[in-house]
Amino acid sequence: MGTYKILDGNDAAAHGVALSRPDVMAIFPITPNTTLINGLAEMHAKGEIQCENVTVENEHSALSIVAGAAAAGARTFTASASQGVVHMEEVLWMIPGSRLPLVMVICNRSISNPGSLQCSHSDSLLQRDNGWLQLYCETSQEVLDTTIQSYKIAEDKRVLLPIHVCLDGYVLSANASPVDMPEQEEVDEFLPKYKPDHFYLDPTMKPDMAPGSPSYRGLETELRYQIEEAQERAKTVITEVNADFAKKFGRSYGNGLVEEYRTEDAKGVLITMGSMTGTARVVVDQMREEGKPIGLVKLRSFRPFPTEDLKEIGKRVEAIGFVDRNFSHGGASGGAIGAIETSRALYHLDERPPLIGFVAGIGGRDVTYDDFRYMANKVLKTAETKKVEKEVEWIQLMR
Amino acid sequence: MALKENNIILPGGTTCPGCSGPTIHRIIYNVLGQNVIQFGGGGCGGGSPRTVPLYSLHHSGVASGATGIVKALEAQGRTNITVIAMAGDGGASNTSFGKLSAAALRNDNMIFFTLDNEAYMNTGVQKSDLTPYNAWTRTTPMGKSTKKMDLPMIMNYHYVPYVATVTPAFHMDMVRKIRKAKEIKGFKYIHVLEPCPTGWRSDPSKSIELSRLAVQTGIWPLYEIENGDFKISYKPREFKPVAEYLKPQRRFRHLDEDSIQEIQQLHKDDWERLLRKDGTNIW
Repeated sequence: MGTYKILDGNDAAAHGVALSRPDVMAIFPITPNTTLINGLAEMHAKGEIQCENVTVENEHSALSIVAGAAAAGARTFTASASQGVVHMEEVLWMIPGSRLPLVMVICNRSISNPGSLQCSHSDSLLQRDNGWLQLYCETSQEVLDTTIQSYKIAEDKRVLLPIHVCLDGYVLSANASPVDMPEQEEVDEFLPKYKPDHFYLDPTMKPDMAPGSPSYRGLETELRYQIEEAQERAKTVITEVNADFAKKFGRSYGNGLVEEYRTEDAKGVLITMGSMTGTARVVVDQMREEGKPIGLVKLRSFRPFPTEDLKEIGKRVEAIGFVDRNFSHGGASGGAIGAIETSRALYHLDERPPLIGFVAGIGGRDVTYDDFRYMANKVLKTAETKKVEKEVEWIQLMR
Repeated sequence: MALKENNIILPGGTTCPGCSGPTIHRIIYNVLGQNVIQFGGGGCGGGSPRTVPLYSLHHSGVASGATGIVKALEAQGRTNITVIAMAGDGGASNTSFGKLSAAALRNDNMIFFTLDNEAYMNTGVQKSDLTPYNAWTRTTPMGKSTKKMDLPMIMNYHYVPYVATVTPAFHMDMVRKIRKAKEIKGFKYIHVLEPCPTGWRSDPSKSIELSRLAVQTGIWPLYEIENGDFKISYKPREFKPVAEYLKPQRRFRHLDEDSIQEIQQLHKDDWERLLRKDGTNIW
């Protein structure tokens, strides 16, 4: 067994990166990921991370640099949040198309204006359509473990897609908890050195191998469809990597895609993403004590979206509430993104349960025990009446 | 100094008739050889297939992508490979300018080529910040009201080890400078004037002549700066009148005699400023 360290989410990510032995990092600060960047710079200066470290001038450049490095066969790391992620937008779209298995931390934060330095999931969910995989973390331990797992998932030959490790700004990034530290040798065994053979830049390579070379023009439909197929295969790979990780380190996160908590014989379930899951667990425990049949589903993988798992859960329960820490202005039923995706996943069930969308935690507003109790009761009431009073409810509005 | 054609640039290019881009690429690759990784296509003049690996993201990230390649090669110990970045004038002066500046300030080990045809030609001739004073483009239909940005000098004041201006008519000068850049470690900046018959509205058979006239009239002075040591590469005994360069290009056809004289005076002043620097360290 390894040793324990008290780490906040940012420190946990930095240690996860160090243990994964990247070749090239490009780092640039933005609240709330600054301590991650500081930590990486310090570890690099001390020789605890031995790689090329580029201190860049903005996020667009950070991502361009790691893209170039990955194209030349390097394992890379970068991180950003909020405005920084949006500034990267152009490059974010190019990386899945080049099949570069980058790992990038998004320290979730609202996007201005009106904005906040605090958490919403809008910055990462804005990236849901471009081919990146996305895993959301609940604890510092999960951040560290997911960072290591992400390299293995992204670099798997069945996947070869980039991946966002998402952690909630401040709530997770700045709150410390004990983390079981894996040994470097164990991580090295779990995560071998990255050796690309699908393509990498080398003067001896065939000239038509580089994505973007003329032979690829006119094939966007096929190349995009290949990404779609890789996303589908990623479900298997995420599940396998989660199981392998459990064998090696004794920890796992549900089946890798979703984690069910007390859903056995539940009439209603809440679906959460990220750090708020911890609060929800406590409320579920309390309400179970009271004999209320509520359960919890943590959605760990938003991309690929675990359609089959949610369908299977949908068959078992009588009502579902999705707690979205994001919004999609003008979207279907005034819905936020998680609820919209879930309703599509459940649509073809013979008997689908009613689905309520809750919008909560925007701009870092605390999602409290009372909030979860309110949402859980709504879901249980809907399970009984089979009637949805309000399709999407912003539960924390100050009036 | 004789060069052997090495056939790195392949047939099947997509450039316009008379484009000087393929000539420039051939010169570059005849010097650098096959052991190169290129990032960025170098604007529309780079539309030829080649045998060296080329990777590109967009015109907005040219130097950064090359930095990534440089760093990967350093991490892997593949340091005998020359990394070059190539942008057009719009990429270098506008959309990638921040990236170019930052890569220079980090002194990342690459040769950055700006292939300057003085406007956004691929999109059909729109102004960039390297469009010359009073030139017509689609977005400056009355002529551009401000001077061409002095990008080579701006790059020099990033304190990089090597900066040079070149144009393909002065072929051996270009060869010599690229050879020198290849041997220097750090960030090297080479700015190529790239005649473009489509955008300059000139005869496609006259591209190299215009390249030569640009130097002979003082419009495009050839110089190099090594660690701040400024040296003019070519000093004509007597400059030809700028009109000889301007008149064959219909992008300048709206210029009257006064406007031509104004440009003549601008370049006379610029040249005198350069002469004062010649042979000195300007850092």
